[in-house]
Amino acid sequence: METTSEIEASTNEAVVKETDKTMSASTVEREDRKTVGENLVDNPRMTCRDVNVYYADNHAIHDVNIDIGRNEVIAMIGPSGCGKSTFLRCLNRMNDTIDICRVEGTITLDDEEITSKHIDVVPLRAQVSMVFQKPNPFPKSIYENVAFGPRIHGLANSKTELEEIVVTSLKKAGLWDEVKDRMDKPGTGLSGGQQQRLCIARTIAVSPEVILMDEPCSALDPIATAKIEDLIDELRQQFTICIVTHSMQQAARVSQRTAYFHMGDLIEVGDTNKIFTNPRHQLTEDYITGRFG
Amino acid sequence: MTKSLSKKKKNSGKLRTIDIVRAGMKSRRAAETRFKIYGRIAIGMGLLFLLVLFSSIISNGYQAFVQTYIKIEVNVDASKIDPQGKRVPEDLSRANYGGLIKASMRTMFPEVKARRDKRQLYRLVSTGASYQLRQLVIDNNDLIGQTLTLWVPADDEIDMLMKGYIDRESDESDRRVKDKQIAWIDKLISEDRVEKRFNKTFFTAGDSRDPELAGIWGAASGSFFTLIVTLLLSFPIGVAAAVYLEEFAPRNRFTDIIEVNINNLAAVPSIVFGLLGLAVFINFFGMPRSAPLVGGLVLTLMTLPTIIIASRAALKSVPPSIREAALGIGASPMQTMIYHVLPLAMPGMLTGTIIGMAQALGESAPLLMIGMVAFIVDIPQGAFDPSTVLPVQIYLWADSPERAFVEKTSAAIMVLLLFLIAMNAIAVLLRKRFERRW
Repeated sequence: METTSEIEASTNEAVVKETDKTMSASTVEREDRKTVGENLVDNPRMTCRDVNVYYADNHAIHDVNIDIGRNEVIAMIGPSGCGKSTFLRCLNRMNDTIDICRVEGTITLDDEEITSKHIDVVPLRAQVSMVFQKPNPFPKSIYENVAFGPRIHGLANSKTELEEIVVTSLKKAGLWDEVKDRMDKPGTGLSGGQQQRLCIARTIAVSPEVILMDEPCSALDPIATAKIEDLIDELRQQFTICIVTHSMQQAARVSQRTAYFHMGDLIEVGDTNKIFTNPRHQLTEDYITGRFG
Repeated sequence: MTKSLSKKKKNSGKLRTIDIVRAGMKSRRAAETRFKIYGRIAIGMGLLFLLVLFSSIISNGYQAFVQTYIKIEVNVDASKIDPQGKRVPEDLSRANYGGLIKASMRTMFPEVKARRDKRQLYRLVSTGASYQLRQLVIDNNDLIGQTLTLWVPADDEIDMLMKGYIDRESDESDRRVKDKQIAWIDKLISEDRVEKRFNKTFFTAGDSRDPELAGIWGAASGSFFTLIVTLLLSFPIGVAAAVYLEEFAPRNRFTDIIEVNINNLAAVPSIVFGLLGLAVFINFFGMPRSAPLVGGLVLTLMTLPTIIIASRAALKSVPPSIREAALGIGASPMQTMIYHVLPLAMPGMLTGTIIGMAQALGESAPLLMIGMVAFIVDIPQGAFDPSTVLPVQIYLWADSPERAFVEKTSAAIMVLLLFLIAMNAIAVLLRKRFERRW
């Protein structure tokens, strides 16, 4: 029996947040928690204004304002339970699947509001797709895993077209050479790194505009991680990517901009180089120098 | 020796962990061994009871699969059954075939003269013999006027004698087979006119007051139609309800109440469903009494909670990451359900369904209420014909006074168990099939 559900994970996050607060209260109390840095950009793909997230009575994210630019990789870092995953899940309304979760504020995609109740989440998620922390291929063949998205959205008119999409997606995900001889074998039989690349292939097969990645490498070894990081770099040409990561080195390697979250507040946003070499906020500096987190 | 002991005592203040662990190992191992023994005893008891059950049923019932037959020569006298010689089917079916059988018995034993003795002589063969003869003659009119050699079923008491259930040595007044009958049978045996054969009637006939003519087929087809109705209704309704409640319904007080009620329904005594069926389906909707249709409806009500609970458990056990994966690339909840969650939950759902169906197959109490306990000779041809079911047939036979019904009862139980084993085998096969894919 699979007991760890995302819901539990998310509520745990909130609990962890509480303990974090008491632990580091003395160091941050005096700090100003307003966002510093360049959180807004010109011609953004997505904008988030005054985003607040609540888990029942627990205020998980406070007044987040941030823009996500075109064809950039934006990394979200921060200590455990700081709300970065929760925020990421707001961007394609995955939080809708959690009953007790409530999102307030305005998020737009290409100037279209996506937070209103009347928006259909199905086309939204086809545009803003998600790759999860744990590789979660469907228990079907490798081919079926990738073909599922295009098939349900009706992206291919014929079988050959569908096959083409599958092959190009797998090639883009750098998995083609490893799986081309066993397309009919189950996706769950691949190694962890391969599974995660399969999940990325599955996501890019629907040609979304934004890809959300929630700690995609946390379950992988360094070699698989390197492969995925290379892949993210290539995908940037075509997609906008938001990646949540625990690893500051990874954020530094793959992203152009970095956002630092702390206990539900967006503390600092800026060019990755600047954040890691010259952070403006005390909390950011404390985190990247390893004083906590 | 004493020195080292005192040394140990001195150090006992700071015993190493390993020493404490070692000291405790003996009782830990003993506890484990005890637990294993308890487990083996439990399993052994279970197996023993199962063995006793099966051996008693089989030893009681295996003889029901054979039946004693007697060879007689019948002169199909044209003057007796068709005096006009017109061969009209109505007249032929109404003719006195019993008389022909009796005449044949008389020719075999010409020395029997007294009326009472003659009556006992006629009782050697089953009343089914005349039906058998009639069928032969109606099917083939050319047999009229010929002398036929027939194997006809012996009467159930004679059958019991042949199978050794009647003690020849006991007092004549204590048994239903009289001394004279035993003498006649011994004479027939010496002439090779008595034989035990495979009892085809048991598998092809419906119920009967005469044990030698009673069969299981009527009840088996009744059970079959009832279960078909149950399956067709309860599986789709149960799965749909489970899927909706688990995946789509909002969590609020109303759905909570529904959930509690489903769980409660699973614990309602089945006879209550029978009363409900009687009141609603028969009295209110005017559906036919004793029909598999109504039986199926009642059993559907009974099995639905089982199926819903099992299906919901199966849906819950599908990892949420699968749902998220599908939702994350824009699948609608319905698509997520149909392509991913349902196939993964299907083995569990099927198992629940088969368990529910097995329960339904073995259920008799609610069916008594809707009239499926009636004595029905005809074999039902559909879900609307009056019929009975296997467990009710077992109950009816177990209640009959004739000695020969005892073995019929056990044989019917064997047939029912066979059905159940077959259903469980199907469940296992289906689950393997669905699971083998990945």
